[in-house]
Amino acid sequence: MNTRNIRKIVLGGSLCCCMIAALTSCADDLDSDKYFDDRRSIESVFTDRNQSLGWLAQSFSFLKGALADCKTKETDINGAYFQCFGDDMVFGDRDMKMDLDGNARTSFNALMLGDYDEEVGKNAWIDAYKGIYQASIFIHNIDRNVKMTEEERSDFKGQARFVRAYYYWLLLRKYGPIPLMPDEGADYTQKYEELAIPRSSYEECATFIADEMLKAVDEMKDWNRFEAPNNTDAEFIVRPTKGAALAVRALAYIYAASPLANGQLQNGSHPSQVTDLVARELVNKDGTPLLSREYDESKWARAAAACRDVMECNAHYELYHYGIVVSGTNEMPQTITPHHDGDFSEKNWPDGYADIDPYLSYRRLFDGEIGLTGNTEIIFTRGYNLGNGIKSFVAHQMPNSPLHGWNCHALTQKMVDAYYMNDGSDCPGKDSEYGEGDGSARKSGWTTTDNQYKPLPSNVSLQYANREPRFYASVAYNGSRWWNNNPNENEHYPQIFYYRASGAERNNGYSNTSRYLRTGIGVMKFVNPADYQTGENDWNHITDKYEPAIRYADILLMYAEALNELQSSYQIKSWDGKQTYTISRDINEIKRGIRPIRIRAGIPDYQDGEYANQDVLRKKIKRERMIEFLAEGKRYYDLRRWMDAPIELAKPIYGCNVMMTSAQRDQFQNVVQITSLPTVFSEKMYFWPIHFSELKHNNQLVQNPGWKYND
Amino acid sequence: MIISRQQNKTEVTMKKYIIMLMMLIGTTMSLWAQNEVELTGSVTDNAGEPLIGANVIVKNMKGLGVIADMDGNFKIKVKEYQTLVFSYLGYKTKEVVVKNNRPIKVVLEPDLVNAVDEVVVTGMGSQKKLTLTGAVTNVDVDNMKHYGSSNLSNVLAGNAPGIIAMQTSGQPGKNTSEFWIRGISTFGAGKGAYILVDGFERSNIDDLNIEDIESFSVLKDASATAIYGSKGANGVVLITTKHGKDGKIKINGKFETSYNTRTITPEFVDGVTYANLLNEAYLTRNKGWYFSPTEIELFRNGMDPDLYPNVNWKDLILKNGANSYRGNINLSGGGSTSRYYASISYVEDEGMYKTDATLRDKYDTNANYKRWNYRVNLDIDITPTTILKLGVSGDLSKRNAPGMGDTDTWNSLFGYNAILTPVVYSNGYVPMINMGRDDQRTNPWVMTTQSGYHEEWNNNVQTNVTLEQDLSFITKGLRFTGRFGYDTYNYNWINHDQQPERWYANGRDKETGNIIFDKIKDKVDMHQSSGNTGSRREFLDFLLHWNRSFLQVHNVGANLKYTFDENIQTQNIGEDIKNSVSRKYMALAGQLTYNYDNRYFIDCNFGYNGSENFADGHRFGFFPAYSLAWNVAEEPWVQKQFPWLDMFKIRYSNGKVGNDYSPTRFPYLYTIDPTGERVYNFGTADHATRSEYTQGYHYSAMASPNVTWEIARKTDIGIDLVLFHNRFSLTVDYFHEKRTGIYMARNYLPSIIGLESSPWANVGSVRSQGFDGNFKYEDRIGEVGFTIRGNFTYSKNKILDYDVEDSPYSYQYQTGYQVDQLRGLVAEGLFRDFEDIRNSPKQMFGTVMPGDIKYKDVNGDGVVDDNDVVAIGATRTPNLYYGLGLSVMWKGFDMNLLFQGAGKSTFMLNGKCVYAFSQERYGQIFSDLVDNRWIDHETATLLGIAANEDPNADYPRLDYVTNNESRNNYRASTFWMRDGRYLRLKNVDFGYTLPKQWVNKYHLNDVRIYIQGSNLLTWSKFKLWDPEMGSSNGEAYPITKSVTMGIQVNL
Repeated sequence: MNTRNIRKIVLGGSLCCCMIAALTSCADDLDSDKYFDDRRSIESVFTDRNQSLGWLAQSFSFLKGALADCKTKETDINGAYFQCFGDDMVFGDRDMKMDLDGNARTSFNALMLGDYDEEVGKNAWIDAYKGIYQASIFIHNIDRNVKMTEEERSDFKGQARFVRAYYYWLLLRKYGPIPLMPDEGADYTQKYEELAIPRSSYEECATFIADEMLKAVDEMKDWNRFEAPNNTDAEFIVRPTKGAALAVRALAYIYAASPLANGQLQNGSHPSQVTDLVARELVNKDGTPLLSREYDESKWARAAAACRDVMECNAHYELYHYGIVVSGTNEMPQTITPHHDGDFSEKNWPDGYADIDPYLSYRRLFDGEIGLTGNTEIIFTRGYNLGNGIKSFVAHQMPNSPLHGWNCHALTQKMVDAYYMNDGSDCPGKDSEYGEGDGSARKSGWTTTDNQYKPLPSNVSLQYANREPRFYASVAYNGSRWWNNNPNENEHYPQIFYYRASGAERNNGYSNTSRYLRTGIGVMKFVNPADYQTGENDWNHITDKYEPAIRYADILLMYAEALNELQSSYQIKSWDGKQTYTISRDINEIKRGIRPIRIRAGIPDYQDGEYANQDVLRKKIKRERMIEFLAEGKRYYDLRRWMDAPIELAKPIYGCNVMMTSAQRDQFQNVVQITSLPTVFSEKMYFWPIHFSELKHNNQLVQNPGWKYND
Repeated sequence: MIISRQQNKTEVTMKKYIIMLMMLIGTTMSLWAQNEVELTGSVTDNAGEPLIGANVIVKNMKGLGVIADMDGNFKIKVKEYQTLVFSYLGYKTKEVVVKNNRPIKVVLEPDLVNAVDEVVVTGMGSQKKLTLTGAVTNVDVDNMKHYGSSNLSNVLAGNAPGIIAMQTSGQPGKNTSEFWIRGISTFGAGKGAYILVDGFERSNIDDLNIEDIESFSVLKDASATAIYGSKGANGVVLITTKHGKDGKIKINGKFETSYNTRTITPEFVDGVTYANLLNEAYLTRNKGWYFSPTEIELFRNGMDPDLYPNVNWKDLILKNGANSYRGNINLSGGGSTSRYYASISYVEDEGMYKTDATLRDKYDTNANYKRWNYRVNLDIDITPTTILKLGVSGDLSKRNAPGMGDTDTWNSLFGYNAILTPVVYSNGYVPMINMGRDDQRTNPWVMTTQSGYHEEWNNNVQTNVTLEQDLSFITKGLRFTGRFGYDTYNYNWINHDQQPERWYANGRDKETGNIIFDKIKDKVDMHQSSGNTGSRREFLDFLLHWNRSFLQVHNVGANLKYTFDENIQTQNIGEDIKNSVSRKYMALAGQLTYNYDNRYFIDCNFGYNGSENFADGHRFGFFPAYSLAWNVAEEPWVQKQFPWLDMFKIRYSNGKVGNDYSPTRFPYLYTIDPTGERVYNFGTADHATRSEYTQGYHYSAMASPNVTWEIARKTDIGIDLVLFHNRFSLTVDYFHEKRTGIYMARNYLPSIIGLESSPWANVGSVRSQGFDGNFKYEDRIGEVGFTIRGNFTYSKNKILDYDVEDSPYSYQYQTGYQVDQLRGLVAEGLFRDFEDIRNSPKQMFGTVMPGDIKYKDVNGDGVVDDNDVVAIGATRTPNLYYGLGLSVMWKGFDMNLLFQGAGKSTFMLNGKCVYAFSQERYGQIFSDLVDNRWIDHETATLLGIAANEDPNADYPRLDYVTNNESRNNYRASTFWMRDGRYLRLKNVDFGYTLPKQWVNKYHLNDVRIYIQGSNLLTWSKFKLWDPEMGSSNGEAYPITKSVTMGIQVNL
């Protein structure tokens, strides 16, 4: 081979090589990542303090909409909020047939009759899982943030873990057992089949939430909001705390121990109308039951211990209370001395009510008067994040004239009857329409002067006389006084009647609009004396009110409730393992849960005989919860977990006869059935339905019993 | 001629430079020491006509050559025993050895296009049809030129086998066609073919001037497109433009003017008929009379035109037709060391709207379009083995339209029925209806003439440089080609908008009798809005080509190609840094071919491609393909037995290609964005001030790290047949393709995943298969030459995999149906009577009455609802396309006919003119409705017209639909489904070439005058508007029918 040939081969070969080399060397040209180095990335977000906190804030943001614990029905048609309706509270607007605004949204009747479809309120499901994913990303990335101290990173991680578990808790409470997602978030690049995650059992969900909350306790820094060193820091006051995490853990355990999730009919005694259909029907596609079919008493013990963890932890929660008012005003009336029972009346707080004003103690907890820092009872709240949520609630309670309220939230007679007399006895005629109670008749007659039966003004039915202080802080009975501090109006302490109008009377009674109280009994809870409106949607003159999502009273009553269910004694380690509780149906321990509630409410303790009898005490505790948590969104779930819903929610709704004018006031106070608010309960109403598209997209997901699939 | 002289001058200077260059390089040419003679002679065709401008060159001596003069004579200095080569376009080249200086007379034979030797341009260069193993169609450019259109894409239908094309609008500047090679085979975002002009990627073919095209080929199977790797899956269109040839300057001019009307213009009912129908719609639904007989009479006699108008809006705004003008001049020629081709063309399409005479001096509101194209291709022989090619081309186009009415005119024209408002109220107020106060409901006269004007213009420049080097000095048959291209595109628009004050006459005041006018819209004074966009593209390409024969029968070839290109949108690209990165693409492609004695062929291809759009690891893909062919006709025993068989080739190919188009940039990247200022307040800030809310951050787009391109596995079996000495040729291909990994958003992730945006993935799959083919028969009977040609494409696809959610009814899945399958309820005629309604499943779309559409309860659940929606009919895009052409030539006369048809297409009717009164009184009604609609006898009696209770009537019982009412009749169903089949005489062209004796006197070479018609006849079952538009409501600028006269001159 001559050199010429060799040259040719070399030349030809090198040309080919050049082209191949061009490709391989230029392959880097296709790598555009260098342009994106300074783009906002998960690394840059999580190494920046503000952006990291922004990510965390976004994790909490889903608590604001459909997932709020306590919010008016207003503002989000995708949401359904449960504090507005039930056997305790009714509303008359939003009725397709009645409402003048023409927007047929979710009406009281639709909600009560189960006449809503699978799509209503679906954002609760969707938002919760968005929050869960968002928080998961935070938990798995915050450790890289060097702009924070180790302690801060841990604290924020704990807060993210709290909110993630809180979303699961909200889902569990509403939908029952739900799918639990991988800790780091699902790998969304997988096939649909692999992303079809089935529901875990109720017990698995509850223990998962409880375990996560314990991790969050370890990670978070502060025990409560009001004692935390940074509690003046505006950035911190609404953040969750160790105490809140322990409280949610207790709630999850209580729900898991309750009849609905714990052996159903085997837990306590139930009337024949109650069936265990739901437990039998709620099974995964592979046949796994999602609700426990066997009763396990130890779940109650576990729940009681978890409540005690909250009571004995470093958070130092205490029921809110307000001292005695000696010289009163319209807004802060002079303290009405509570009943002399020889026990509470002799002692000062916390052992008695001698030095507190029970009415103001209860009212001020909700009316926005005290700031968050001053409230030792609120364990978890969304603060003011719910916008006009509770303000709007108040606007719906306020009378139309002269306060420009929507005048449509009302209480049932059952709710009114639940309130005790000031001496702790039942009111005359209690539940007589249901054939329950002691068979006595309702009180007739009227007050004639203002100070005859404090705090009743004149011309009020004696049915409302001598009731417990919480009654007067919660119920806007016919003839109750409202405050109206509108400087442009003359009458600042108007007495409001719900009679059907005749002549020149102020009209807050029956009308042919949707704006009247169906039962003639209004709601006073959450109302601040300073609240008034100059017109509809005037939010400027209603005091801001933070949301009472979890308060200490809930934990106390649940402690009593759990202990009351026990037959045996259990040794259970405290949350930190440092001590061992003996958990049993110990009357003294039960009293730890009940007495503070009764003291703050200004009424005597239960009688010993009531404490001794498990069934009687169970009823007392349920009644106590109904009163204490009116309009806080808890009864909706309580009735279901107790499996009392088939009985209680099927009872007719009673109220005053709103068709009567003031001239027929005796007939007005004659309790009648409110036939425009029919009631029924079916099995499907235990759990909220899952929307169709979710069922279509996850073929392992089973629908809640009684609700339709997508066909 | 001035141009030509200048050209010659530049040529001379150019030559000087090149010679100097050659000397510098050191390349010298040794001259043979032989006797030099001066030779004269003439070149003629076989009829004795001189061939003016024929090339005479000395073989192997580039640079030595002359051109025959006006009489076909030439004079050249040569040496003895050198060979002269005579060539002329359209004639066979002839070589003559010089023996002495006696004058020679050369007669060139016309070069009939030989089907076997036909040259086809493929991805690696040009190739004889004989040696082709893949499915490649060469489209005869001459046939395309017969069609009178300014847009190349409109010419494809019926001319190019394997192409399915659809024209959806006739508006000047928007009257282009969408086309797909072998139909649609993906539901992903990128369905269109990969278009290369002279090897450079182009986004569409409509910017090209048809006259500049030298060749047009369509690459259809994997073997032909594999070298384009991840871009070839939808087929490839290769276009080469004309380059100059050695010889005297040639000037070619073509000028034509067209008169355009509409193929089908929608026909609407007049005012009185409309008013009567409105009464009928009211009465038949028990709503009483709408108009009293007196009022109807007022519409008829026009006594109260303000309140009882009767306007023919269509005639008011539309002219009968409009003109188009097209002109094109190109020059080409060159010497032995450089050649040039230059062209310039102009297109003007006038709009069909009537304009306001008073405004005509100020501005034009009509829908016009103008475009200038230019192109210069220059080829320079730098050395005997090196050619440098320079190309510059561009187009400037300008489109004009009414200010408000660019897109909404037709909506409004179809909305304003005759009795809605007058054109102008008697007090001078401009009318507008009072229902739905959106601007779209401004009346069509205001829209087209009183609302200012819209103008937009494109400004595209494309430049390219190609270097071709013969590398035979390394090894025989080796060549190198390098290309570099740089393009810029600019698009701008300015809208000059104004709107008059608009009023509605709302009856008369009872007391004064004056008309009450409601003001509907305020005046908007003349103002402007504008915008622009642009892009830039760079392109680099190296090709090594080697081709050699051994021992006469072993023909081996190899190609290696490297390509890099990038393009970027340069304006209005938002804030995301992702959009600032060019779309880059890189490929190494190779080909190995071998054939034994042109009988047995094997061809292996591969493309190894990378795209920057995907994540590392998904960036590069390997796309191999192979093809085999057996040319039976070359077998000696066949040649002996069947001498009339010129070519009989069986081809098979199989391979993989990709489709890299993705609408999202860098789908493997996620985006994190702020979610807003007030996400969650962790503080005590009170509700009223909300001052301490924290700004949130979240993923606004998820990363899809595994995303890559779609892959198509394609198989093709074809035969090529040429018979009877090239008189008859036929090609038929069967193709099968399975497209996998179609890029789709994952819309059906369960919400438990918790994402706020959908990621992307390669999830879909489609199988498509079909046939395409063409034939041609060419012969001559006496002095009459004729050609019959035809082509067809049939393609059908089926979705195999699709991102779907669970459904209880399998017929509601996409899987198993065609891409874009039509869906609807199954209509079973009209309800006969109430008895019929009672005995039928309950229809969930409002109350039904006799004469309403009856639907089938498909799932048998006793109710008719959305779960009964099934696949009906076919797709809007036709699955069958065919064309049949005939050309006849006799002496100087020529005639071309082209019939073009489409089949297997269905579409759904809807819209306010079909669904009468579905938008209350807004909406015209097609005259078609009057003939055969359901009329119950009670209503008929009231109105004094004939009843028609035929359950098979064409239109259901009339209904006047207000907002809250349900619309049983107005739903997608078989009732409103129409057959989109059509056949049209797409082109008829009659020309006469003036005898040479006449034209040569005026120094002209060829002069052809012609008259041509486009879309003159259309046959279709569907009559309401042109079926090709595929429109469901007809609300678009109609497709034009045109008559063109033109002249073509060659100098």
